[in-house]
Amino acid sequence: MDFSWPAEYLAFKDKTIQFAQRELNEGTAERDENQSFPQSGWMKCADFGIQGLALPKACGGSLEEVDFLRALLAMEGLGYGCEDNGLPFALNAQMWTVQTPILHFGDEQQKKKYLLPMAKGNLIGSHALTEPAAGSDVFSMELKVDKVDDGYVLNGQKHLITLAPVCDVALVFANANPKLGRWGISAFLIDKGTPGFTTSAKKSKMGLRSVPIGDLLFEDCFIPEENLLGKVGMGFSILNHSLEYDRCCILASQLGAMERQLERVIDYAKKRQQFGQPIGNFQSVSNRIADMKLRLETSRLLLYKTAWLKKNGDNAMLEAALLKLQLSEAFITSSLDAIRNFGGRSYLTENGVEKDLRDAVGGVLYAGTSDIQRNIIAKLLGL
Amino acid sequence: MLEQKIINYILEELHGGQSDVEISPEDDLLGSGLVESMGMMRLIQFVEDDNGIKVAPQDMTIENFMTVAAMVAYIDRAKNNG
Repeated sequence: MDFSWPAEYLAFKDKTIQFAQRELNEGTAERDENQSFPQSGWMKCADFGIQGLALPKACGGSLEEVDFLRALLAMEGLGYGCEDNGLPFALNAQMWTVQTPILHFGDEQQKKKYLLPMAKGNLIGSHALTEPAAGSDVFSMELKVDKVDDGYVLNGQKHLITLAPVCDVALVFANANPKLGRWGISAFLIDKGTPGFTTSAKKSKMGLRSVPIGDLLFEDCFIPEENLLGKVGMGFSILNHSLEYDRCCILASQLGAMERQLERVIDYAKKRQQFGQPIGNFQSVSNRIADMKLRLETSRLLLYKTAWLKKNGDNAMLEAALLKLQLSEAFITSSLDAIRNFGGRSYLTENGVEKDLRDAVGGVLYAGTSDIQRNIIAKLLGL
Repeated sequence: MLEQKIINYILEELHGGQSDVEISPEDDLLGSGLVESMGMMRLIQFVEDDNGIKVAPQDMTIENFMTVAAMVAYIDRAKNNG
């Protein structure tokens, strides 16, 4: 057993942290307040090569092949360095649930059309699965697909879609043949400007406020055959293929955020004086910090193990569910501990402490709620 | 024999050995609800491990995994293709 990372991976992680701290943090509080999307940060990330981490050189990446563990560690570094937790979240969403499916299931034309512009930051892609009546019960989707000559006609709605209000292309899942159940689900690439396809305005939300979220609306929207990703009925496979990569990397960025949070709390506990001494001397404070460290490291172990299994092509269903449950819940609990240790000032938005808690709450809801993760774990344990 | 092995896995591992479940090689596993989506992923993992093959994501289609009979045919092809 060897827990060490290659030196080059660690050096690249450090470089990513420095890039994020230098280029991405100005105006974080204002973007949170105004719920404005960091367009310039998105482009800077593309210039640095973040979006390209999920792509081989031929499609805009920097390496001949995607190195998943190197990418994962870099996304952890991005989460540590970037104080806007929304930006790494949005980047991961595009990288692993839009770019990766196109890379693995797309034809040459689709790869050429979408992947290079995404790597360069010129194209933003959203992944559209959830519907008003299909949340955790995702396969009950109702977006209607009618087969016509040379393509399909879509009618209906996708709901709570990350990046929807700013997307240039949406990867939309719909059941083209409900008689086949889950085998009928297909994936369509739908370009902005396609007649009958509109996006809602961004919805106001609790956390990750720099990432616009909204609905996709389809009204007699004709999609030509060439915009089908993979074959008819391949949606189930496309969904399952990208799910664990996405989960690992989004959570890697959250792990980075948890580490930044912990360091900030430790620094404050050493400097803040009450009753004539640093508050870190009081066990009520230091015990909370010890618990934060424990949550961080147990989350890290689960993350790295899950990523290692995925890298080796092994089954990681159980580990991915354990990871998602552990890390997302841990971030909430640690964010509350951070607030308790900072005291009253953390309740003020201007000090930037409470933002982590607001951002963390989304983690127990998106990409499978904590309840769903527990169900998966229980099933895999034979219950 | 392979058919029965897959059916046994579904009955024992995915249905917890419930005696009232019956599966024939031609049953639509996902469509009929005999196997739910996570169960299908576990079943594919079992097929991989038991037969020493790797199912490419592009192969995870209705043609190859709708029924136990389709799975057996896919496994035979995968083994023959090396």
